[in-house]
Parts: sequence; C-alpha cells; structure tokens
Amino acid sequence: MRALGVLWVVLLCACPGPSPVPTDAGVDGADAGGTFCQPPPAYAEVLSSCLPLASDYTPRVSASSTDAWPACISDTNLFTPLNPNISSIARVTAFEEIAALLWRDGVRPSPDDFVSARVAYAVDQGIDSRVQRREDVHVAEAPMPCSTAGIPEQYPERCAGPTKLLPVLNDAFAKGATGENPRVHAARIEAALTWFFYLSSLSEVMSCTTKPQDCDSSWAYYAGGTPRAAPLGLGKTIRALGVETHDRVYDATLAVRCWRNLDHETGVATDLVQRDTAREQLDRALLRGVALIVRQRLTELGCTTGEVHAANLAFLETLLPWLDRAARARDPVQASALQGWTLDVPAALAALDRLFPCP
Amino acid sequence: MRRWGLLVLLAAGRVGAQEDAGARFETTVSSAPAEVPSERAASEVRQGDLERRLPRRAPDALRFEPGVFIQQTAHGQASAYLRGLTGQQTVLLFDGVRLNTSTWRQGPNQYFFTLDAATVDAIEVLRGGASTRFGSDALGGVISATPLEAPVADGRFRLSPVLTLKGTTADSEAGGRVSVSGTAGPVGFIGGVGLRRVGLLQSAGTVRSPLDGRPPDVPRFAPDGRTQLGTGFNELTADGRFTVHPSASHELTLASQAYRQFDAPRTDQCPPAFARSDECLTYKEQFRTLTWASWKARLGVDVETLKLTASWQRQHEVREGARPASFVLNTGRDVVDTFGAAFTLGSRSFLVSDAVQWSLQAGLDSYLDLVDSQAFVSFTDIAVTRQQSRGQYVAGSRSLTGGLFADATLRLGARLTVRAGGRVGWASLSSPGDAASQSQPIAASWAPLAGHLGVEWAVASPLSLLVNVDRSFRAPNLDDLTSRQQTGPGFQFENPALRPETALTAELGARLRLDWLSLEGWGFQTWLDGAMLKQPRDVAECPPSSAACGASWFRYQLVNAVGLSEVRGVEGSVRARLPSGFGARATAAYTWGQGPGQVPLSRIPPANGHLELSWRHDFGFTGAAVLRWAGPQTRLALADLSDARIPLGGTPGYAVVDLRASLRVSAVVLSLVLENLFDSPWRAHGSSINGAGRGVMFLATFRPPSP
Repeated sequence: MRALGVLWVVLLCACPGPSPVPTDAGVDGADAGGTFCQPPPAYAEVLSSCLPLASDYTPRVSASSTDAWPACISDTNLFTPLNPNISSIARVTAFEEIAALLWRDGVRPSPDDFVSARVAYAVDQGIDSRVQRREDVHVAEAPMPCSTAGIPEQYPERCAGPTKLLPVLNDAFAKGATGENPRVHAARIEAALTWFFYLSSLSEVMSCTTKPQDCDSSWAYYAGGTPRAAPLGLGKTIRALGVETHDRVYDATLAVRCWRNLDHETGVATDLVQRDTAREQLDRALLRGVALIVRQRLTELGCTTGEVHAANLAFLETLLPWLDRAARARDPVQASALQGWTLDVPAALAALDRLFPCP
Repeated sequence: MRRWGLLVLLAAGRVGAQEDAGARFETTVSSAPAEVPSERAASEVRQGDLERRLPRRAPDALRFEPGVFIQQTAHGQASAYLRGLTGQQTVLLFDGVRLNTSTWRQGPNQYFFTLDAATVDAIEVLRGGASTRFGSDALGGVISATPLEAPVADGRFRLSPVLTLKGTTADSEAGGRVSVSGTAGPVGFIGGVGLRRVGLLQSAGTVRSPLDGRPPDVPRFAPDGRTQLGTGFNELTADGRFTVHPSASHELTLASQAYRQFDAPRTDQCPPAFARSDECLTYKEQFRTLTWASWKARLGVDVETLKLTASWQRQHEVREGARPASFVLNTGRDVVDTFGAAFTLGSRSFLVSDAVQWSLQAGLDSYLDLVDSQAFVSFTDIAVTRQQSRGQYVAGSRSLTGGLFADATLRLGARLTVRAGGRVGWASLSSPGDAASQSQPIAASWAPLAGHLGVEWAVASPLSLLVNVDRSFRAPNLDDLTSRQQTGPGFQFENPALRPETALTAELGARLRLDWLSLEGWGFQTWLDGAMLKQPRDVAECPPSSAACGASWFRYQLVNAVGLSEVRGVEGSVRARLPSGFGARATAAYTWGQGPGQVPLSRIPPANGHLELSWRHDFGFTGAAVLRWAGPQTRLALADLSDARIPLGGTPGYAVVDLRASLRVSAVVLSLVLENLFDSPWRAHGSSINGAGRGVMFLATFRPPSP
C-alpha cells in the first residue's frame, strides 16, 4: 500500500523531460584570406549559331507561329500556372535566403550564418524534404520510390538526391557551422543546390504526366515562379551569365506548359512524345546554363587566391562529377577532358564549350 | 455492500441501464453517472462491458455504441465522432470535470485516449448539442467518464488489492495494473498504477482506393505487408481517490489521475506521405494530470443537492519531428494549465398540484487556461539547437470560458414531461502576439447563449416519444485563433477574426422498454451557423514569416462559413434478452453532412453499426459473436482530397467479426477476444492506420478475497 502510494506520488510528479536548450554554432575560423577576380571575368555569350531545333518551342518568335507546335496557352510568352499555389516557389525563396547568407556578394559566412541557412534549408516541406527523395530521371526508374528504405543504396544513380546531394549538403552545413573554411563549404552547398534545382525542374516534368500542377513546379524550380526578366534561384544565376541561355530555358518551361495545355490539361497526359520533346528542350537548355556556371568557376580559378580559390575548387569538385553523365553521353573524349580540369583548365574550358555549346 | 449500494443509488438519483447490473465487485461500487440528461439520445458503457470487450484504449470502449464512430490518427491517438462531429466540437468530462482545453485542434484529437479505461466505472455518451449544461464545444455531444468510486468508510481498516494483466497479439501489447481500494478510519480510497508497452500494429493488409485500387500513402508497411510502421507506444498511468463522508449526506472527495504516454508516433507523419521511411513525427511525451476536489451534499431542503468542484489539469506534450538522414530534429513543447471551478445545485420537486410538479437544476462553471508553447530546431550532428520565436501557439496566451445555466423540469401528469433551460456563456481569449513571426496580439470576448426545450411523452407504459430542440455553441479557442501547424490535410495558420459557431439541433426519438426488449431510435437535424470550416488559402495569403506554410502542398485557415452547414442522420439500437441465456444487441447509424455550397463536410463517418449475439451462463460464462461493419464513405470535402489518410475516392467499407469469451469465477475474471476472425483488412474513415488483423486479446483480473 505504501509502496503503491509512493509510486503514485512519483508518477504524479513525473515531470516532463527538459526543454531543448538553445546552443550556438562554432566560432569564426581564422580568415585564410583570398582575393576575388578584379574585375570578375565576363563571358560574352554568342549564340548566333545556336538556332533552335526544329522540334523546339519558340514563343518569343512570332508567338510560336513559326515552330512546329500547335497553338497553346504559352504562345503569349507568359507562363500560365495551372494552380496559383506552387509550393516549390517557397524552396526557391529559401535558396535565395541561403545564397544571401552563404555566398552571394562575396560574403564570408560565419558559423551562425551556416546554422541560419540550414534552418532555411530544413524547414518543413522545404528543400531538404525534397533533396531526400529527389530522383534523376535520366536514369532508369527503381522498382520503388527513392523514399523507400533500402532503395537509395540499391539504385544510387537514380536516387541522386539521397545518395549524392544529401551527403554533401549535410557535411558542408555541419563543417561550415564549425567555422572551418566557410567559403569552401558554402561553395559545396551552392553546387549541390544548383544540381538539385536542375534535377528538380526535369523530374517535375515527368511527374506532371499524372499530376498536371507539377508542370508549374518544373517552371518554379527553375526561376522561382517569376517573370522571364526577373528570375530567382537557378534562373537568376544563369541569366547573370547568359541572358539568351536563360531565355531558352524559360522557353523550354513554356514548352512544358504548352504540352500539358494540349494534352488533357487537368487529367492524365497521354502524348508522351510531345512531353519528351519539351523535356529534352528543357534539359538541353538547362545543361547549357549549368555549363555557364561551371565555365565561370573554371575561369575564376586563374584569378582568385586563398580561400576564394579553394571555394571555386570545391564547387567544381562537387558539381563536375555529376555533369559527367550528360557530358559522356555527348562525347566521351571531351567528357574526359572536362574531368581532367584539375590538370588543364584551358582544355577543360574548351571541352565544356564543345559539349554544351547551345541551349 | 448493501449500504454502499443504497448510498450510491441515493446519491446518483438514477440507475443506469447497464448490461451487467449486479455483476460488480465490492470495491467498485458504482455511482451511476448522472451527468447526461435521461431525455436525450444517450448510451452508456459500464465496467463489465469493458471487461468483455477489451478495448485497446478508452475511445475503443465506445466502438459499439450507437452513433459513435472511432477515428484513429495514430495507433496512440483516437477520437470519437458523435453525430459527425469530433474533437473540439464535442465535450469530454471526467467525473464532471471538463477536459477540453483551449488548444484542442479542429478535427480528431488524441485527448480521449489519455483516459485509462481501467480506472473508469462507466462512460456515458450524449449525442447532440448540449451547451446549456456543458458549455462551449458541446455541438456534437458529450462523453462523460465516471471513475471507479472509493468504498464508503465505516471506521474499519480494510484493503482489497486487484491485479489485472492484459495482452494482445496484433500489436504485442503487454500491460497490467495494480490497484487497491479500501477504508481507513473515516477515509475511503481507491488507487492504482498501470503500465503497458504496445508494439507495432499488424493489420490484415492494405485497404485500397475504390477508384484506382491503390493503397493510400499512409501508413507505410513493413515488408510483410501487414505490420504498420509508425505505430506502438508506451504508457504509464496512476490514479488515486480519497473520499470522506462527514455525515450521511455529505461527501468530500480529493482525487487525482496521471496519464503518461511516451514515444507515440503520429502514424500519418511517420513517415509522412512520400517522405523517407526513417522520417517520423513522434509524441515523445503526451501527459495529462488532473487533480480535483469536490463537495457533494444532499441537503434535504428546497435546494436538495449541491456539488462544488475545483480542479487543476495540466496537459503537456512534446513532439519531435525527426529527419535522421539530415540530422534535423524539430521539437514542439506545449503546456496548458487549466484551473476550473464548477458549482451545481438541484432543487427538490415542487408540487404545484396533484398532477403538476417541477424541479430546477442550476449552476456556474468557469475554466482558465494558461498556455506555454515553444519550438526548437536542432541539428544533431553538430549539437546546435535554435529556439523559434514562437511555438505551435503563442506563449502567454490565455483563455477563460464558462457560463451560468439553469435547467427546469416540469412534469404534467404521469405521461408528459417538459424540460427547458438556458445558459449565458462567456469566452475571453488573449494572446500577446509575436512580432518576430508576425503573429498578431489577440483580445477577444464573447457571451454566447445556449438553450434547449424538450418534451417527453410516455405514450404507453413501455413506449416514450421524445422531441428536443437545442441551441449550442462553440467559441473559437486558441488553436483556431493562433495556431500554426502541419496537419493531415496540410498547413493550418491562424485566423484571429473567427467568431463562435452555433448549432441548432432538432431531434425526434422513440424508446420502447420491455422486460426482454429495449429499442431506441433517433433522427436528428443540425444546422451549424458560422461553422468553422477549413478554407483553402493561396500561398500569397500565408504569414510572411512562415516558410513551412508556403512550402506545403495545401494551406488553410479556419473561417466561419457564410450560410448554414447541415448534419443530419438516424441512429438506432436494439437489445433483446432471449431465452436460455441468449441475447442480441445491434446498433446502426447514418450521418450526412454538408457545408454551404453543397460541399460535403470533412470526414463525416460512413453508415456504421454492429450486431452482437451473446450467450450467458449462470456459472459466470459469457460468450459472444460480434459483427462490426461500416459502409464506404465517398463523399469527401476538399480538405479530405488532400488528406493522405483517405484513399483516393474515399474509404471502402468493411465487415469484421470478433468472438468473445469471458469467465468470472470467484475472485478471477478471464476474458478472451479473438478479433477480426476472418482477417479482413479494414480502416475507419479518416484514420491513418488500418484496424488490427486477426489476433487474440486477453485480460486476467485477480481479486484476492478480503480478509
């Protein structure tokens, strides 16, 4: 009886566990120094020889009246969302927040900035939630989604998000928060997120086959759901390096929307040939955009020093292996030259231009 | 024993129509609950029913009651729908103390789960609006649990221990309870401690969409296709009740109960639809502590009965959303302290003439909630934790609800009884706001009114007809006004502009009571004015500081609907005592709900019911075969369409057969249930989990004879 009473009192008082105690990130690491290119290398994009393919959708040319596509909703040269609510825009907004904290405008992020950026990255239904299940649609589908236990390990190429992007992002956020080589880890995050948005824009085209609103997401993952002239996210980076390349990517997002407009817009799409035509236009243009980013980093290797230089190296070390599949599919020789960038930067630059000459 | 029983009957003024009257033990003297007015659509589950049915948790105890439908958001969470409404649109009482707090969310919630069925003597269910007596939230009905009573002290020292062991195979539950009751000097007491561990729940397989034949996105299954991930939990309970009778007409009670649930995953978020299988939202701590003191008196004057109750309840929960692959841990911690006081008095019957008499019941109740809420995000790989500017609620928020009521009964001759009453309620809520998250300060007050009028006509000795009209209300609570949270359908954000919703219910019932047959049927229609319904919101309408809102696939606010929403339905029950110890019982209910614009209301239960055939032997054996069934529910609200818990196109119906056997010999009770005999896959509409597959549940209770 007494024991029971004691037990009861103990349980009644059984106080809840303690609240988490806010803890700080590491302290700023010593600035290893480093200089940026002054002035930054400027690449003058010349695409006069890069005419659109016959299969390309060209809304900027006579409202698409000269291409092979039937009249559709995108002929206005504006993206018309199927649904005004596009959740992927919030992920691009988070990317912008992360960029401002970690790398944009030459910032040297503090450990606290890395934690703040990681908070933005890890928000519920945010970038992290999608990285964890992002699939590379260039690779054959796995029997189960990549969110299934064991599938990423068995199908690492298809499950690019959990197997390739996630380890880099986890590691870079963690090391950045310790104050160690912040520019380097910021560059790794930028590279991984660049590839994430590239993969995402394409994978949404595929899922749009059954979920029409995913075409909106494809567009939003590229430019944050913005008008052509004021893109955010990956679109903003690409436009800063090549306006025409950006416009071609934007054309391709309109091609995706055009396909879906023509193909049972609110139901399940059946014209997979047209879908793949649009997707290939988008993939080609996006790859050219990513190539421009890589090109800029390769060029900057020659005029940066210290931690800034190391950050460029880290960016390229992170991103270039992922670009290899597309490069090798185009020209294995040039792909090898590109992968030998650490030995011969000019040769790698030349290979890059040959591999991805046109959007 | 006889004296206790007499006292209790006197105190209660009402004898429940329990199935097993007389089959009680000395230490569990029943105070037949009188919280629920007899003229309303009501039913009751007694301890003997619980011993035979072996509910997994308190809400399951109501699975066989007419017009009650049990939904489960998680293995460790369940919510009872009464006439199509649940959660904050119903009222929960324990020993007359209101359990509803101002943070109960819209739709199903887990709080009825935090009652330990082993401590309950009876659970009454009142269907239909009842705000006059029970205040805000009583739109769909009231669930009132009555605890086991302490024996009445007679100056001697006596002690009666009880050991109960319980187990199941479908979810590997193993648990038990040790309790003692007795008397010491002037004090009667009863109390106990219980614990159980519950494992992963095995279903009978997947339940598929009626449209495309695919399983819904939740729950996720283990490779065997039966074991449901995101299930299981641990539980610890304790309770104590001390009673003193200073005189034959006065009773003082001091009681407390504690419920501690640990590590209960929210099944539909463990993992969420489409997420990695290791992502999980877990209720690490789901605690409730209730302490109350009451004084009951039978004064024998014009004011015949009096009851004064003071209570304190602490509702505490810690949620952890873990994404191990990214080393992310989101922690939410909410604490609500509720201080309550209730006072009721009842008059004797006053004779106006030989044929006319009247009586009055009146009272006052008020509950004050103080809310603390915090949220943290942690990165486990670097041991860094950041506190968010606000939690699911805004810390420092307060809520004061209550009211003053009077209920009169007028008996006109032997056949006609008229009942009428009214309440002036109050609800005053405040929140300090949070500038960092752009959460507005709130200060809102309302004085909603409720009332009812009912007529009971005893047409003939066994047959009564009943007509009731009731107006009830629900004032917005802090969850409606201030919460930001990820829910089943999507992200909910606050709406400080809400006002109370009201329900006008008209119901017609008939009761037939014969020695061998009891039959009851009700039809009802409820008009909800300004119903707080989920309104989809555009991303642009999200609070600017809430990134999770914009990133969610569906966002909504609760808004007062313009125009009337309707819920209507029929409920029936029949119980027959047949020769040679045989018996039969059946229930059936159908509910239909629609909001303005002819849009179905969310998660209205399908047609459902049960059929039970039993046989009882004087030796102490009871056996039964039970069919539980529900029809398909394909009428879906917009929020249901985005709810991963509901298969595409709706939830298919089911029919499940259970076999029960119970043996009561001397000091031992042994109960066995073979559940889901044919191993049929089933899911209660709106639930995250499928029901248990074929399995065995057992209960053994040992009561050593008193010395």
